[in-house]
Amino acid sequence: MSLARVPQLRIVQRDLKCRQGCGFYGNAQFDGLCSKCFRERNDKRKKAEQNALPPVANSPNTSGTSTAGRLSPQNLLGRVPNKRQDSMPEISTGTLTKKKSLVPAVFQKTLQSNTLKSKKLKQDGHLGQRAYVPDPTESQFMLQLRQLRIPDDGKRKLKSEIQRLDNAIRSYMNNSANKNVDELSEMVQNAYTKLADIVHNDQRFQIATNEDRESAIDFFEKVVMTQNHKFLFSPYFTLDEENDVKIQKRIRQLSWITAKHLVCSIDEVNAESRDLVYNAITELVGIDSYYSPQEKLECTVRCCRHIFELLKHSVGGPASADEFLPALIFVVLKANPVRLHSNVNFVTRFTNASRLMSGEGGYYFTNLCCAISFIENLNGESLGISEEEFDLLMSGDKAFSTPWESALLACEGLHLISENMKRMESLKKRNSSIATGIENFRKDLEEFQREITDKVDACIAKAPLTILPIKTPSHLISKARAHLANGSDIGLATAESVGHYSANLIAAISADGNTNKESTKNTLPLVKNSTNQIIDILEDASHTLALKDTSTTSIGRLSPLPPAQPNIDLQFASPIFNYTPFDAISLLEDHSDSTDDYLINTNLRGGLTNVNYDFDLSDHSGENSVTEDLKLNLEEFDPLAQKPTAESDLQATEQNGSTVERSLLDSDSPTNGTLLPSPLKPTVTDYRGFSSFEIPSISCNTGDFASLNHSVNESEITIRTTSTVIENSKAN
Amino acid sequence: MATTARSGGNASGSTAQRPNGTQQNKNCQFKLVLLGESAVGKSSLVLRFVKGQFHEYQESTIGAAFLTQTICIEDTVVKFEIWDTAGQERYHSLAPMYYRGAQAAIVVYDIQNQDSFQRAKTWVKELHKQASPNIVIALAGNKADLSNIRVVEYEEAKQYAEENGLLFMETSAKTGMNVNDIFLAIAKKLPKNDGAHNQGAPAGRRLNDNENNRQTNNCCK
Repeated sequence: MSLARVPQLRIVQRDLKCRQGCGFYGNAQFDGLCSKCFRERNDKRKKAEQNALPPVANSPNTSGTSTAGRLSPQNLLGRVPNKRQDSMPEISTGTLTKKKSLVPAVFQKTLQSNTLKSKKLKQDGHLGQRAYVPDPTESQFMLQLRQLRIPDDGKRKLKSEIQRLDNAIRSYMNNSANKNVDELSEMVQNAYTKLADIVHNDQRFQIATNEDRESAIDFFEKVVMTQNHKFLFSPYFTLDEENDVKIQKRIRQLSWITAKHLVCSIDEVNAESRDLVYNAITELVGIDSYYSPQEKLECTVRCCRHIFELLKHSVGGPASADEFLPALIFVVLKANPVRLHSNVNFVTRFTNASRLMSGEGGYYFTNLCCAISFIENLNGESLGISEEEFDLLMSGDKAFSTPWESALLACEGLHLISENMKRMESLKKRNSSIATGIENFRKDLEEFQREITDKVDACIAKAPLTILPIKTPSHLISKARAHLANGSDIGLATAESVGHYSANLIAAISADGNTNKESTKNTLPLVKNSTNQIIDILEDASHTLALKDTSTTSIGRLSPLPPAQPNIDLQFASPIFNYTPFDAISLLEDHSDSTDDYLINTNLRGGLTNVNYDFDLSDHSGENSVTEDLKLNLEEFDPLAQKPTAESDLQATEQNGSTVERSLLDSDSPTNGTLLPSPLKPTVTDYRGFSSFEIPSISCNTGDFASLNHSVNESEITIRTTSTVIENSKAN
Repeated sequence: MATTARSGGNASGSTAQRPNGTQQNKNCQFKLVLLGESAVGKSSLVLRFVKGQFHEYQESTIGAAFLTQTICIEDTVVKFEIWDTAGQERYHSLAPMYYRGAQAAIVVYDIQNQDSFQRAKTWVKELHKQASPNIVIALAGNKADLSNIRVVEYEEAKQYAEENGLLFMETSAKTGMNVNDIFLAIAKKLPKNDGAHNQGAPAGRRLNDNENNRQTNNCCK
């Protein structure tokens, strides 16, 4: 009666001892209890039943029909009386629907359900046994049954078949005097065959697909086996339990077997493969924790997959049976699973026979059976050792390994450490050799470099590549000096361009200066005559300039430049827009002996200013090309602006003379310019812009009045020096 | 009575599960056992047949002990479940557990190894004695690519096979020679309830056709 209890996960201890923990051995017939505890518990239950009865009786019992009971599943107690009353006429379809509707209530399972269960079992009737409150597993089956994709009729048929087999098993277990497990097995197998026949041929399953039919058959097997696990697993009338104990003992005796004995490629020392062995062992042991044969088979398959994984590491490819079977035997030996025989026999007897004949599960299960069979029939020959040695090892007279070996096994960690140390040692050696190699290589490289440099040096020494200072030929220097001397006198290099501008200016400004213009075109002898005229013209121009400057107040902006630049112009005859020649000239000028004294002076003072102005100019030119032109023009006329400074007449005249000289040369180019129209025209137009005096804003005037004053002073000084220079040149 | 029903189921697994399947869909499932001494190339042969590879194993191939392959012969889909067995002498006694219920067996020997041929003979004898009576047995002389150093003569094996009613081919898992052919020959010889296997003459040529079919049908298996 108490057997109606849900089968639970069995473990070794519980299997052997009373579940109450009283210390005595239990018995499967007493539900795993010893006889004493079993009796006590039965007494308790009886009492509990008596206590539980009144509420059952009081529960709403108004619905006399089974349908009412079906529709009100929320109350366990309310349902049970209905069940009791209607159990006899109830047909399988009715139970089916009822069970379906009961599913939610299943989880409200209480203690009472247990008591009610045992009570119900007392009731007779073939359906009475099935009518107890479904436990979680059963309710799960209900869910699964509903999820099966077969027609409802098929489900009902399936359900009735399940119940029929269920009852057949139970009645066999209860009534048959001479119980034989083979008969039981045949009964179950016949039921499977019958069901398969029904599922495949019955009209009720006609629309189902083959997969669904298979799943229906699987479901049938699973339900029946799980429900009746307690009866069918290791029945007390078989020798399964004894065999379990026997093989367990034997495996324990065989604990000395190593992978080497089995010619199995499992590396016991390798940590990774050991993990996989443990995985396989876990699965193998776990077989016992499943109820249905399918689950046990699945578990076996998982175990074997782990073994294949393991072998893949050591074999280096997919393992064949030649490697697999020894490995499985090894795992079984190391796992020593509980109730091995019971499990194997349970599966062999009660699973669908076709399942063992085909499929992965069947194959691996066959292998497991083979492994067990091998272990049972193991002898020295099959392990590659002599019978005497085998007997000695089995009896334990001989230690399963030499002391050294066992020590190694015991100190596996140490062994690993020593191995690692060795490896480290070798690595260290290699590392140092690499280091020395690197060092040698570096030395070689250095040597090579040295060699090369030596060779190169030797070559250089042999054929010295004297990079001479850029030797400007002396005649060129002298030429340049002469040139410069000329330039200083006549403003050679720049006179042309300057002349351009001046000529343009003259041409543009003086509307009345046609005659003068003509005079500028005159040859040298004429120049002296025309100088005065030119001066006049220039004076006019400067006047206009000055006027315009003041009017636009642009002088303030340009002030740092104009006063200084003209002096430079005068000094070095350098074009303001062409600095490099100017610098070169100035440098060369330094060497020129004649103007040494003066130039040093000017360099000391004006040289600095020169530099500054150079930069300023370049900046402005960078900003605006038009301003450059304007400045140039301005600067050209600045020498005339000196006039207001009112130096001595003599100086003035001399200065004028110098300007005359310049203008004389200038005059040449304008003539050319007029003859050759193109290059001059733009400058003229530029000049037009100047005449309107739209000087673009130049940003250099901001707060620079101090420098302005300074430059003004400087300009005075430079004017003086220039005058002396002119004198000097005249003297020359 | 019940025992007979069960053994009937064992004899042909597919009929036990699906009594009508063979007639209606011409779907046959056969259990084929590989027997032979270790290192004669049993698993190489199967891997070549199933995966079409030799030594270049795919990652997914976890083991070569249990493999399945579906082939099409005429209008019948034949699914082979190939059970590899451990070839070592010490596991010889376990073999009946493997070939119990098998519809076909390939006994493999190495043409370079006389011992393996002798072992093959004992396997055949044992199969005749203990296996199901209508089991189809094929004898495969493997490593035919090394025929220049052969020990077992083709004629000798051929004669033995004829005497014992075996299919016989020399195969090479390495080159793929006769690998598909031997399985096809077995599939043809297996009873499929329609007697279509009895067309002797064109068999040789048809094998190639069928091989092509097999290749195309692999994807939809």
